[in-house]
Amino acid sequence: MEYIKSFPVFALLIPLMLSFAMPLIKSDRTIKNLALISSASSMALCGLALKYVIEHGAYKYKMGHFEAPLGIEFQVGMFECIMALTFTAVTFLVVMHSSGRIEKEIGSRNIQIYYLLMNIFYASLVGMVFTNDIFNAFVFIEVSTLAACGMVVANSDGRSIVAAIKYLVYSSIGSGLVLMGMAFLYSITGNLNIEFINAEIANAWQEYEKVVLISMALFVFGLGIKAAIFPLHVWMPDAYAYANNTSSALISGIGAKAIIVLLVKVLYSMFGSELVAQSGLLKVFTALGVMGMMMGSVFAIFQSDIKRMLAYSSVAQMGYIFLGLGIGNVLGLAAAMFHVIGHSVTKALLFMSAGRLAEGAGGVSIEKLESVGARRPVSLGLYSVGALSMIGIPILPGFVSKWSLSIASIEAGKGLLLAAIILSSILNCVYYLPVIIKGYFKKSEGAFDGIKFTRREESQIGTLPLVVLAGIVIGVGALSGDIINAFSFEFSKLM
Amino acid sequence: MERLIANYVEVCAIMLFGVGFMTLLMHNNMIKKIIGLNIMDTAVFLFFIAKGYISGKQAPIVVGKLEEASAYINPVPTSLMLTGIVVAVSTTALALALTLRLHQKYGTIELDEIIRLREA
Amino acid sequence: MSSTILSVVSSVVIPFIQLFGVYVIINGHISPGGGFAGGTIIGASLILYRMVSGSDAARNRYPYSRLIKITCFSLLSYGLIKGYSFINGGLDLHMYDLPIGTPGNIFSGRYLLPLNIFVGAIVASVMYFFYSLFSEGEI
Repeated sequence: MEYIKSFPVFALLIPLMLSFAMPLIKSDRTIKNLALISSASSMALCGLALKYVIEHGAYKYKMGHFEAPLGIEFQVGMFECIMALTFTAVTFLVVMHSSGRIEKEIGSRNIQIYYLLMNIFYASLVGMVFTNDIFNAFVFIEVSTLAACGMVVANSDGRSIVAAIKYLVYSSIGSGLVLMGMAFLYSITGNLNIEFINAEIANAWQEYEKVVLISMALFVFGLGIKAAIFPLHVWMPDAYAYANNTSSALISGIGAKAIIVLLVKVLYSMFGSELVAQSGLLKVFTALGVMGMMMGSVFAIFQSDIKRMLAYSSVAQMGYIFLGLGIGNVLGLAAAMFHVIGHSVTKALLFMSAGRLAEGAGGVSIEKLESVGARRPVSLGLYSVGALSMIGIPILPGFVSKWSLSIASIEAGKGLLLAAIILSSILNCVYYLPVIIKGYFKKSEGAFDGIKFTRREESQIGTLPLVVLAGIVIGVGALSGDIINAFSFEFSKLM
Repeated sequence: MERLIANYVEVCAIMLFGVGFMTLLMHNNMIKKIIGLNIMDTAVFLFFIAKGYISGKQAPIVVGKLEEASAYINPVPTSLMLTGIVVAVSTTALALALTLRLHQKYGTIELDEIIRLREA
Repeated sequence: MSSTILSVVSSVVIPFIQLFGVYVIINGHISPGGGFAGGTIIGASLILYRMVSGSDAARNRYPYSRLIKITCFSLLSYGLIKGYSFINGGLDLHMYDLPIGTPGNIFSGRYLLPLNIFVGAIVASVMYFFYSLFSEGEI
């Protein structure tokens, strides 16, 4: 039945419309149920669209009665469907986990507005993944930035306001640069649709080579600021550490990743791989990716706050993705996109379980988390699943992405990058393992003074979403061969 | 050089973009940062809209009889920048609201003083 | 501010401002302006009323519950109309659509006129909310 073709549009429209209905509803119970229903339906619709694409192939869906280039269209292919399914699945599990704990995190007055912002946030990211029109993507970028800023400032902490201001200032610089790049590109190609620009860009490169290079540089730096490329990452640690747990899990899980997906679409679908290879951009990506991997891990070792440590680890993982982009062959790109999926589910799991651990220990500093395993064994176990994936233990997705990146760099003849990957894995061990080992195995005598220790301290039902997410982590690792093959097939058509 | 003089609107737009960018980065006061952000966004709108001008054609408004499409200037950049202006207004409103909260919490809106207050 | 000149003059001027805003909204698809610009004009007239008559009179005349209901209803109708138009166009279902008309009439362009009206309502109340939140902290 052809109605399945319109499911990506519904996956974008249903969360937006349910969010618009939220200011009219008075009871918090209904709002949480609405948020859960909207994210569940988005996930189901993206899954059904993926099934249709696997059977029938990619297609374009025109919005309204006008074909491109007069109208906007959605490009629904295997790559976009897998990414959208990942983002909506992570959102569904984060929303399910948050419904019991959101009053403790932000107080009960802000719940309406918070779920409204959350719906707008992930709806705009789903739109950003599917769209085939560059100005439409710009509007979705702005909507997601504003919604994420609102989510960061939801708990009324002084530090989160400064973090949100830093995030907003850096993101606005990025948006200004992207819009300027779009203006240059429109002036030489005359189109705003990604495929039509791709058709015209070969002529434009002959006549206006410098303008194309300027436009490419503006796009890369504008989107790179939002995706936390190395020296421009300074907004990320504050924004992830000082937000409340649900916001950190959601924004770190899917916020910067959708920008990376858009960057891949811009570079490879719009500019084309010959232009990217000719312009020396790959060397920039490799250099900044390696520096990000090293410096992110080095900064993470010196942190005393577990959420800041996880935030710097995110900077390092973004370095892996930029390294994969910079290697330049099909396997490198597929490995980088697989790392996007793996990191998305793993980082959400890590932030949510770190939040439960911090609640059990009474604070976020790492010293207080010693011997927390006695009070929160399930949460620490789930945290260790995520941490082992980040370090690179086989079966888990972190290992598969490091392995694929190594093979890709050997195939491209840049074998020295192997040393960087191995060194950063060792650095990852240095800061992930101590929390687990001290949590489970260190006996700290003064830890339980003055705290009433009851047996059923941890609500078992509350950890169900996290257990499902840990299962998804292991499942992504197990299915990694199929996913990387599918991505390699898609990207070999683009290159 | 004569190309720069022929496209003087775009050159002015790029200079305004630089002015706004530097204001956003260099000043510590939040209100000045917001003003710099607005100048930067306005410069981009000016650049985009100036690219739609074709000399000798008339504005795309139906006065009397409807002409054919080649007698008007390009109306697409103008319509796109309406959306862009709304986005800039929303970002400004959010930044101002955050500045208000910051003033309530810390009593000042200079970012270097706030960072010093937090370190202490 | 409660001076006689201001209240008398504003009570004469505010209806004209709103009329002009409605004109800009309705002629949005054939002349410059449209939903955003016209909505800002109507929002400016609401802000003028609040400034001149004080916040208690403004709260009686434009209460928060009514404005938020108008905003949410307009947003939901915008979403429904857009969704219907996307499904109808994208899948080529050829169900009923508003006619496209001749360019230059007011009732032309399929859904532009209703969408402009909804956007104008949303922008007017949002501008009013900005002013009242920034000047007093509550609506």
